[in-house]
Amino acid sequence: MLITGIKSRPVYDRLHPMAGGLRHLIAGQGSGGAAMLRLIGDMSNEQRGNSTLLYSVESFSGHNHLQALQQAEVAGLEVFASNQELIDALRERLGDARMGTRLYLSGSESFIGTAMQAANAVDLNRDEVLREHSGTLVRRVWCAHCDTYTENVTQRVFVCPGCQLHLVVRDHYSRRLAAFQGIKADGEVPGELPAAEELDT
Amino acid sequence: MTVFKPIESYADLDAKGFTYRNSREAVLRLPFPYPEDQYMYSMNVEPHVPFGEGALRAQFDIDEHYISECHHRAQILESQPGVHYAALPHMMEAQWDLLELLMESYSRDYPEHFSLEKKGSQWRWINRPLGLDDSFTFGDASTLPMEPMEYITRQAQGEFILLEERDDTLVMGAGMATQRADYSLRFNLGMSFMEFHGPVPKLHEMGILQRALKFLLRLRPGHPVRRTNWSITVNPRLETSAETLPDWAPDRTTVTAQNAGELVNLRIELQPLHRLPRSNAVLFPVRTYLVSLQQLADFAPQWAKRMHRVIRDLDQELVDYKGFTRYRDAMVTWLSQYDDGTPVDESQQ
Repeated sequence: MLITGIKSRPVYDRLHPMAGGLRHLIAGQGSGGAAMLRLIGDMSNEQRGNSTLLYSVESFSGHNHLQALQQAEVAGLEVFASNQELIDALRERLGDARMGTRLYLSGSESFIGTAMQAANAVDLNRDEVLREHSGTLVRRVWCAHCDTYTENVTQRVFVCPGCQLHLVVRDHYSRRLAAFQGIKADGEVPGELPAAEELDT
Repeated sequence: MTVFKPIESYADLDAKGFTYRNSREAVLRLPFPYPEDQYMYSMNVEPHVPFGEGALRAQFDIDEHYISECHHRAQILESQPGVHYAALPHMMEAQWDLLELLMESYSRDYPEHFSLEKKGSQWRWINRPLGLDDSFTFGDASTLPMEPMEYITRQAQGEFILLEERDDTLVMGAGMATQRADYSLRFNLGMSFMEFHGPVPKLHEMGILQRALKFLLRLRPGHPVRRTNWSITVNPRLETSAETLPDWAPDRTTVTAQNAGELVNLRIELQPLHRLPRSNAVLFPVRTYLVSLQQLADFAPQWAKRMHRVIRDLDQELVDYKGFTRYRDAMVTWLSQYDDGTPVDESQQ
């Protein structure tokens, strides 16, 4: 079974103003704030005036760009204590959104993945969303055996908090679940685990 | 006329007392997947037109295990709800396409077992082997006991995946997969063609996926194509999903050169792909056949001889991917007793 070198991992963009957009939703988290600031700097005054920022201060690496974002001359800034709260709000904004809305996401892979679930729920087109990854590549992992999601996984092999099995993290990514796949690491012979390894986080 | 065996048990439901066996006739009609003594991936696609009297005669093949396999599907769906059948909401039109294709194909190819009567959108479907006589309104899901895809594939042999065409690729939109080979339907749902083939080695580098996708995007309604694929499974176990890996992977440690004939099964997949007329979806069925090495050697010794050569010389990456690294040598030793070194002559078996 292939563990590494699987071709389903997302390829990310670099945020830049999308010229066709009439309204711009810019959502980010933690160190993703830097990409948001750069994007705003690249925008015209008119684009900035049609931009709403959503920022979550939850961060695995401890980066916080809130102060700088508060100085930005945009239509609005909403701040959230957690990524989940931001994504709930994003889901609402997208539900009310009209044609011409463009979405920009920046942050951890887990944040982008779960935010994309909200975007896919309203069928945003591929050319209406840009995603820039920042910070560490800690992973969100789905356990194939008990359906538990684990955030911020950094090791190739870890114990699933749901079923206590040792899982090996495959480089196989599901956009729908916004997660990598974890399967029993010692499936053939109990106790025969693959070598411990730091993920390329 | 196909004669169905009484309900057999598969190893995944009753590992100690499974009764699944093939008759001589069932072995000789298999779509044997090795055209040569060596095997490597290729674009092995051909028009899906009727051929011979075996598995390639009908649009969708059924054999002596039909009742057993439908029974197996019902048991798996009941024991693990939500794991083996899933459909995204916008796939309903494709579900009706699939229901129509299966009902028309089965009733045309096996009129002694299945009948379809249509009066406008009022349809009556009779499935004699399973004892069903159902009337419903085509296009109105509320007139069926469950979604159309689940309803009809509970009465069909094989796995069925519906692919939606979007953004110049094919996206997995629905599946009935109670017999899948080592992947997760819930995980793969919504993936594009390149993504769900991500774990298969070599294909990307060989350029096969790009060619296959281009080919499939040109598939037209009424002109299906087919290919075969294969794997190896210990014990006649249909359900080998990623979810249940802890249940079946340990079997891989039990194979020896002495018991390989009894334990090891060649898992043949016949895949007849169809473009569906209303939804423009592509149907990807995987009709799975399990045959033990012993039964292959007993009833089709020329195929056993060829399989010895294929397995002996198979690229290590494919062995790892197909999951028999641990017991390849045992298989080769066991199969070697059927290989006298002479050319394979399929007319001799």
